Amino acid sequence: MNSRCAARLCARVRAGAETHTQRKKAGGTRVLLVIAILLAPCAAHAYAGPGAGFAVLSSFWAIFVAFLYSFYALMTWPIRQLFRFLRRRNAYGKAKFDRAVILGFDGMDPELAERFMNEGKLPNLVKLREKGTFTKLRTTFPAISPVAWSTFMTGVNPGKHNIYDFLARDTSNYLPFLSSAEIKGPKRHFRIGKYSIPFGKTQIKGMRKGTPFWHWLGKAGIFSSVIRVPVTFPPEKFPGVLLSGMCVPDLKGSQGTFCLCTTRNSNGKFREGGVRVPMERRNGACYSYIPGPDSPLAETAGNEMRVPFQVHPDAAAKKARFVVGPEKLTLKVGEYSEWISVEFKAGLGFTAHGICRLYLKEVSPEVEVYVSPVNIDPGHPDLPISHPVTYSIYLAKLYGPFATLGLAEDTWALNEHVLDDEAFLAQCYSNHEDRERMLFDALEKTKQGLCTCVFDTTDRVQHMFWRYLDEDHPAAREVPRDQRPNVIPELYQKMDRLIGRVMEQIDDDTLLLVVSDHGFKSFARCVNLNAWLHQNGYLSLREGKSESGDWFDDVDWSRTRAYTMGLNGLYLNVKGRENQGIVDPAEVEALKIELQQKLNGLKDPASGEVGITGVFITGNVYRGPYIENAPDLIVGYGAGYRASWDSVLGKVTGQVFEDNIKAWSGDHCIDPRLVPGVLFSSHKFVTEKPHIADVAPTILTLFGLAPPSHFDGKAWSLAPEPTVGAAGA
Amino acid sequence: MFRSVCEDWGTSSSLFPLPKFRAPASAMPAAAMFNVSLFTSPLAIVVVLSIVVGLLMVVLFGYTSNQKAIKIAKDQLKAHLLAVRLFQDQLHVVVGSYGRILRGTGRYLRLAFMPLLYVIIPITLLIVQLDRYLGVAALEPNASFLLTVKVNNPDSLDGVALDLPPQITMTAPAVHIPVEREIVWRLTAHQEGKYEIKVAVSGHDAGKSVRVSRELSRLSPIRLRGHFWERMFYSAEPALPEGSPVESMAVNYPERTIGIAGYEMNWIWIFFVFSMIAGFIFKELLGIQV
Repeated sequence: MNSRCAARLCARVRAGAETHTQRKKAGGTRVLLVIAILLAPCAAHAYAGPGAGFAVLSSFWAIFVAFLYSFYALMTWPIRQLFRFLRRRNAYGKAKFDRAVILGFDGMDPELAERFMNEGKLPNLVKLREKGTFTKLRTTFPAISPVAWSTFMTGVNPGKHNIYDFLARDTSNYLPFLSSAEIKGPKRHFRIGKYSIPFGKTQIKGMRKGTPFWHWLGKAGIFSSVIRVPVTFPPEKFPGVLLSGMCVPDLKGSQGTFCLCTTRNSNGKFREGGVRVPMERRNGACYSYIPGPDSPLAETAGNEMRVPFQVHPDAAAKKARFVVGPEKLTLKVGEYSEWISVEFKAGLGFTAHGICRLYLKEVSPEVEVYVSPVNIDPGHPDLPISHPVTYSIYLAKLYGPFATLGLAEDTWALNEHVLDDEAFLAQCYSNHEDRERMLFDALEKTKQGLCTCVFDTTDRVQHMFWRYLDEDHPAAREVPRDQRPNVIPELYQKMDRLIGRVMEQIDDDTLLLVVSDHGFKSFARCVNLNAWLHQNGYLSLREGKSESGDWFDDVDWSRTRAYTMGLNGLYLNVKGRENQGIVDPAEVEALKIELQQKLNGLKDPASGEVGITGVFITGNVYRGPYIENAPDLIVGYGAGYRASWDSVLGKVTGQVFEDNIKAWSGDHCIDPRLVPGVLFSSHKFVTEKPHIADVAPTILTLFGLAPPSHFDGKAWSLAPEPTVGAAGA
Repeated sequence: MFRSVCEDWGTSSSLFPLPKFRAPASAMPAAAMFNVSLFTSPLAIVVVLSIVVGLLMVVLFGYTSNQKAIKIAKDQLKAHLLAVRLFQDQLHVVVGSYGRILRGTGRYLRLAFMPLLYVIIPITLLIVQLDRYLGVAALEPNASFLLTVKVNNPDSLDGVALDLPPQITMTAPAVHIPVEREIVWRLTAHQEGKYEIKVAVSGHDAGKSVRVSRELSRLSPIRLRGHFWERMFYSAEPALPEGSPVESMAVNYPERTIGIAGYEMNWIWIFFVFSMIAGFIFKELLGIQV
């Protein structure tokens, strides 16, 4: 029967009905008409426009696809279970636990943890200490997050995983590059008119070597959920899900470039990680833009794509209305926006998708808006930030957009006073809550296997608020002691509450580990090692210069034997290795020892304290095939000291020691022996001086797998359960 | 008011006048390059209307719906779908996600329901009107057709008298169907035009219009007594008088099909496809969540 016939039949059937019944119906509510229209099988009424069409089709499609997926999953489940059963004979067959949950609290300090536990502030960590294990966890040389977390996941020393700092140096030009990943545009371009169209994919090369232990688990059929572990960008394939963490770039390809849009007359970049963008007033509104990446269609660099936005300030109400593309929102002074989607259009259909947050700093007399670094949109990732790619999309759909940038907490903006303490903390805890949601989702989804999540909040907050913990920190001398906020104790309590909630979700068949990659100390004094090298004749500047610019501008390489860049590495200018090297390879070892002896125990003339407590020749502390990429020496600063901001950027200044007056007031890039991490566990381990490299072999062993022979870490043993008699005794 | 509007629709012929394309003299050379009938063909009309309706309905949906809530509901649905794929080895996740998908679909449909009501009412009325033009074709000259008259009492069937205009002739004797209270005539119209066929039953007269034409016309396949809703949806004529013994008068106009891509189909399918495509394009362009 065709549709028209059906319509006619429908009319006839109704025509034959009792008249009084029809009248009654006709007098019914008008809404019933619509329902009747929807239900009546008549051609003319079967379809009610694209709105209804989309709603019905979307719903049907969702259910249909879900059904197909579920059907497939259910039908193939026995087969996959059989495979897993056969494979698990090697893993779960000898596994001590169904599940391991590892919470990584970047930078949690064992001494602070112990202090706060003893003060009764951390009841859940106390429970772990009493029931299981609490000990210091030795860290890597140097004690820097990408180095330590790389060792955590691969179970090897840096000589085998090739990560020695955030930065590495290019021996051809002495310039730095990101040590963890290399991102290059497509190899080929073809020209159409003014456009240079890239042909092929963006090339992303992971620089970290070694195999994360969840890959070994996956090979044995054990599923893993891995969230925000540093140096997992680009994500690698393995049987599980992974969201990359520290080292994921922003959309500009940097490690985080914030933007201050302002009507104030001020020019130029900030010293660290930010740019000023002028805001133009016109007819009561302010016009500015969000800077984005360079256009992929431009032949030369520097052709920045931009998303314009308007601000309509209301000085009396201390608020402003924003128009950013299709988004319209109103913010009060001191308020953040939600994540806003921004699309940078290059033309010819090339679009970069990002997300950012706005923060209204001021509406009168001037207008200032902070724009967070533009993060890669997790719901539409232009670069892979998860494995599978759909995992970040899944999380974005489930919980909304979230920060994807590796260093998502904008420490630079606080350092430059673009954000104040309160705004920075709000940003940190907003990101933290997103990650908590991801963790609990992963816990729910991973009932068997590995679930690990690293929280950066502990690191960032301690970096920026240590000044309030240190009684005499140069960066907080103006703040009376009784007015200093308890940010760090509250941070530890927040993390303790998180542990409590995790403990509620696990049973005795789950192992819970809480680990940190390093501890923390005050960073009150800066050491410019390049200045020391200059003053002691190891580094020379061009004639007439007493200081250099950033990245060794004005350094005379033909007379320079050693230099430093990054946080702890010291390099020799070796002939045949560096582009303008002068140190004969035969003299390298002697020069290393000479520098080691001179720098070790270097005292701060202002206080007489030791600024450098250890200098380590990397050949003695590293083993592995990538040792040639390592610095020649690792400098271990004393507690309270760290490489100066200038020294990190390869700048030679006049003074070796100076006060650190930045908000970034705590650090860990010092002598690794002074900043061990923490290890808490729900089950007691028998171990002496555990090291972060031990985590990988321990987890493999607990799942019944033999750690690979190249591992440097040693598996910890579970303490035997106390017998009833022993317990009674 | 609603009733009066509907009744007005039943008689009006000016709502969709569908004038022939008449190019001004100055534009004639350009217009001559095209086949004018292309623009007045049922297919062109359906496609243009589909695009306009697609746009209007999407805009209306956007204004009357909670866009943020719909986006969240759709995103969550997609997330649960992805969860089934991502965690396919975790049976509890697959089963749990499927349940969440069903719940999420319910939530999404609930959110879409109210705006759909706003959208459905005008579009349903529009479709009804369009169906009068596009659902059936007018009678062709010299083509035979059936006139079916239904009365309230089978006993009065013998007394039904048919009054035909001169351009229409009866080609077969009337067939009485007492069980159905119907009497059916086979008739033939010989010339194009709009005619009125009258029947007389027990002293009451009733008429039914008949259109003979090769062009797109507003047609009424049935004239009814009472039956407000049926008249609104199926008839384009005023109701038969309340006291009339005639319940309905129907003409079996041939169904109109529209050819597209080698397939003949009812206009509603073309409208469905094109308005969906247009709606999809416009919702993307306008950033409206549907």
